[in-house]
Amino acid sequence: MVPVVYHSGYQEYHFGPKHPFSPLRLQMVLELIEALGHTPHLVSPPPASREDVLSVHSERYVDQVEAASRGRGLPDAARFGLGTPDVPVFENMDAAARCLAGGTLKAAELIADGEATCVLQLGGGLHHAQRELASGFCVYNDLSIAIRALTRRGFRVAYIDIDVHHGDGVQWLHYDEGDVMTISLHESGQYLFPGTGYLHELGEGAGKGFKLNVPLEPGTTDAGYLDAFERVVPHALSWFQPDVLVVPCGADAHYRDPLADLLLTTDAYERLFRRLRELAHEYAQGRILYTLAGGYDFDATARIWTLLFLTLNALPVPEEAPASWRKTWEERLSVSLSPTMRDAPACFVVADPEAIEQQNRFTSVRLMETCVKYWY
Amino acid sequence: MLVRDIMHSPVVTATEADSLAAAYEAMRTHGIRHLPVVTEGKLVGVVTDRDLRLMTSALHPHPFPKEANLRDVMTQHVVTTTPLEPVEEAARLMHEQKIGCLPVLEGERLTGIITGPDLLHALILLTGVHGPSGRIEVKLPEAPGAIVRLMDTVSSEGVDILSVLSYADPGRSQAVILRVNTLSTHALADRLRETGFEVTWPRRKQWSL
Repeated sequence: MVPVVYHSGYQEYHFGPKHPFSPLRLQMVLELIEALGHTPHLVSPPPASREDVLSVHSERYVDQVEAASRGRGLPDAARFGLGTPDVPVFENMDAAARCLAGGTLKAAELIADGEATCVLQLGGGLHHAQRELASGFCVYNDLSIAIRALTRRGFRVAYIDIDVHHGDGVQWLHYDEGDVMTISLHESGQYLFPGTGYLHELGEGAGKGFKLNVPLEPGTTDAGYLDAFERVVPHALSWFQPDVLVVPCGADAHYRDPLADLLLTTDAYERLFRRLRELAHEYAQGRILYTLAGGYDFDATARIWTLLFLTLNALPVPEEAPASWRKTWEERLSVSLSPTMRDAPACFVVADPEAIEQQNRFTSVRLMETCVKYWY
Repeated sequence: MLVRDIMHSPVVTATEADSLAAAYEAMRTHGIRHLPVVTEGKLVGVVTDRDLRLMTSALHPHPFPKEANLRDVMTQHVVTTTPLEPVEEAARLMHEQKIGCLPVLEGERLTGIITGPDLLHALILLTGVHGPSGRIEVKLPEAPGAIVRLMDTVSSEGVDILSVLSYADPGRSQAVILRVNTLSTHALADRLRETGFEVTWPRRKQWSL
């Protein structure tokens, strides 16, 4: 069994009942896994220390977060992205964010210590947090804290971000580092938050050519997404020769996601999860750290992350979602949930699918043409 | 946004008696293309890298030697601006005059300089694309107060507007592009639609099972 890092404290990272980044999603996944008759091998992590957090964030930012979580927000908190509609302040925010970061850090340590090659962190993926800026639901950047711990132990890290939003925080935090490659596939910043992640963002200094962005058109479907992934990711890994992969598995590129405009189905997600594992075997001695990330449709997100668990453990995917689980959560959330684990076939209404396909192909071709200049 | 907010200060300058070679060296050292020429604190001309290249070119009928003085090649009667000029006025001036820089004068004193890339920086700041943000595009009817109602609706959702761009489609409607400090632009768009606005981005996803 692949170790699953989880702490009940993850539930405390909670911005209020109307906020999309709901910890209920984790609870849904755990209960769905259980309802399918599986008992995950859970590892309970200690929280990240203040010092761990300071490996990627500035002291004055951490001071702001601490003050805000004691209910005594400093006057310029908004300059640090705190107390905004996306990152409202809540009590014990610092502790909750450190708890999540501790999970990702623990997962990295399990891999670095050789205790596991593949680990699933059932939380985290707060890829928008910057050095001194809370942004897009993210307070502390657990991914970068884990990446920093890995590079300090001599690992070359390939970060592959399949969340639908650009992984801007991780990119900027490692922008000039040559031992961290970041690859982000996302809906183009022309249309979607955070408005970055363009082809020309290639890194700087020792990191030049190590930061790759694949901005995709709104309306991109499974085939186009997987095509772009194959055109970029295997080549980049084969050149970079990583020791470990770090992969935030945002479920928000799914067609039902209310915050973004891509049209992936569970089929693409299953293929991606399997393919990433294969690539880890091919290029990183099997070492891979999966985390969660965005994903704001309860139904799609719970199924996608459960498919992630099943895929990593090579468990069969049953046709139907357990009725008891569905009933419980349909009542609790007042929404209707899919009867099947995988998506039923869906028809999408897209204005000009050929233009989307053409633009996406152009993007991945241009990206590879540009970065090979720095590689060879 | 005023010229003083984006200008470079202090300014690297030269004197009329400096040689072309010295000007070339100064431009190379500082990575710049424009040198104001100053006599006793007063601006008397401007030399650009283009002036140096053209005046010394082998293709020039009578190329200047590198020892020549700047006074022989510089542009006199320089177009200038002031620190309190709005950046859009400075942009219009540079565009109309087809020039690459504007020395900034406070009275007679040279206090700064702006060039083309500074205006691009201003454009980036004005459009708000430099920080994490979401984008909303709304088509407003050409009616007085429509934009005020839009701003009111957005701010009543607790969302900060980082920048507003708008352009008119003459006689018909006004397209307004907002950069907002939220990832949840779809929820905001739905809210605006409910309030009667025509939101052109983000669109609603459409599918059927």
